[in-house]
Amino acid sequence: MYVLLRQLARIRRHAHLTRGGPRSLAIRHVDAGSCNGCEHELGAVTNPFHDIQRHGLDIVASPRHADILLITGPITTRMSGPLRTAYQAMPEPRLVAALGDCALGCNVLGDPTELVGSVEDVLPVDIRIPGCPPTPDSIAEHILAALSRLG
Amino acid sequence: MTEIEHVHTNAWRASVERALADGERFGGAWATGRGENPTWRALLVSGEGSRVLSCDAAAGAIDSIVDLVEAVGWDEREAHDLYGLTFSGHSPLRALAAHPDDPAQWMTPVSGDGVHQVAVGPIHAGVIESGHFRLHVIGERILAMDPRLFYKHRGLERAAEGRPACDALVYAGRACAACSVTNTVAYAQAVEGARGLQPDRQLRVARTVLLELERLYNHLHDIGAICAGVGYAPGTMAFAALKDRAQQINLRSFGHRFLFDTVRVGRGAAQLEAAGVDAALRDLRELRLDSSAAWRELEFASSLQVRLGGIGILAADDARRLGAVGPAARAAGIREDVRATSPRLAYDGFTPASIRDPAGDVGSRMRLRAIELESTYDMLEELLAKPITSGNTIPAGSGTALGIGRVESPRGATVCAVELDGAEVSRLHLRTGSYANWPALAHATAENLLPDFPLINKSFELCYACVDR
Repeated sequence: MYVLLRQLARIRRHAHLTRGGPRSLAIRHVDAGSCNGCEHELGAVTNPFHDIQRHGLDIVASPRHADILLITGPITTRMSGPLRTAYQAMPEPRLVAALGDCALGCNVLGDPTELVGSVEDVLPVDIRIPGCPPTPDSIAEHILAALSRLG
Repeated sequence: MTEIEHVHTNAWRASVERALADGERFGGAWATGRGENPTWRALLVSGEGSRVLSCDAAAGAIDSIVDLVEAVGWDEREAHDLYGLTFSGHSPLRALAAHPDDPAQWMTPVSGDGVHQVAVGPIHAGVIESGHFRLHVIGERILAMDPRLFYKHRGLERAAEGRPACDALVYAGRACAACSVTNTVAYAQAVEGARGLQPDRQLRVARTVLLELERLYNHLHDIGAICAGVGYAPGTMAFAALKDRAQQINLRSFGHRFLFDTVRVGRGAAQLEAAGVDAALRDLRELRLDSSAAWRELEFASSLQVRLGGIGILAADDARRLGAVGPAARAAGIREDVRATSPRLAYDGFTPASIRDPAGDVGSRMRLRAIELESTYDMLEELLAKPITSGNTIPAGSGTALGIGRVESPRGATVCAVELDGAEVSRLHLRTGSYANWPALAHATAENLLPDFPLINKSFELCYACVDR
């Protein structure tokens, strides 16, 4: 345990992470047909190099207590139903973020008959995060920029 | 060059039986030819060589071979759902890619006093891919588990049809980020095989470096994921940081954290000059020191270790019967690895990893990955001794209409079959290590406690994306 904690402490020292503002927002993620790249990078935003929690942002287990619905992938026909259910389960006010080029409808996607369209076609999108996949830094930057824009 | 033997539909079963008796191994099966002239094909592997057995599927039901080769179970179900093929003797032929409303059409019937179902997914609590699990339980004990995948089915194989063979590589790459190098190298090998092209030494080295860098970040991720499955936060965070460092090396060396766009058909696309190679080697040596130290700590973390033994057992016999591949099979004592028979890559003298007392449980799968990390560091050290030049292919024989690529991904043997119609792809089929291992995961889940399911799942760490395609 000592070695692990020492490694983590060293990374924290070298990462020079700034402190975040006073804020608390919960993010719920839904994979609507991604290649798993966006999931890997979304997992990485909570690692010691990036630590999105310092900005008061956290990824939560249920849409019931989420403020932001973060969606990855082109929307497959089989995930459009569960995606809408997750959105309806959220309390208002709520935001929708499209994570990655597939969610934004501009990538190598697949066969059109298996897809219902980009996130924009299914839900009102507030935050757009481009990239294939977006890097952990870019994910945090886009969410924070959108939040300061939205007040 | 891959030989195709076309047999009469009536002789299908006998031909497979004879091939298996001759020591050939099943490597995957797929339907081809939409509309008229549907054809059913199976890959048979023997050492470095492979051949394809094929039969006409237009004349009605084909004799199932699922009792001879249990590993064909998912292939036959998929061909039924996506291509309308029927198989006599495979009963019930449960839905796999199709999602019928009636649970009886896709679930194992389990009934009895106190038996109930626990439904999980398709949306999970963590940042995880979408897929559904139906667990049949009594109290806390799991009796059976039915995975219902294909929620992420994007029709990538169909989208590739009709595209020029060089361009359609992106569909193999898009299937899965974590296996993108494996899938694209397998695709490139398939097309090059069909065109009678052989990679030169530089291209073999460059692709092998990329494949091992992919394995490196995946194995670090997977060890961290097992720590997360136990709730051992220091291990989770330490290995998440190690994985990130491995991906930073990918970014600095080849321009992308997941090594996207580093593989092309017929030629190389990744190069690293002397300064880059030196920097990568320096970073890799530092990473190796820290990951070895972190691994030693995990070995002595008793709150982690007590959770790993004796659960999620996949015995060697079952692994062989179900066609398990990769770390899951090797952790059960099956010393097989496609890297040992990869003349189109630079794995000269490779021997598959093994562990002492391979029990096939969660702990064995974790230890096996730690041992494989060492050989990956060793190989990278050797291959990065010289600058990486992109390399090329050289003509080495006549072309055919079908090519096969077989590559060992971080999750096991991945097969890519590409059928060409002139310069265009008429069929792309990807059967990844994850696809091969899902039935083994379902088997290993039975008889365990429900709260251990996430941990067992993490110990296999299979992709959903490259199964669903």
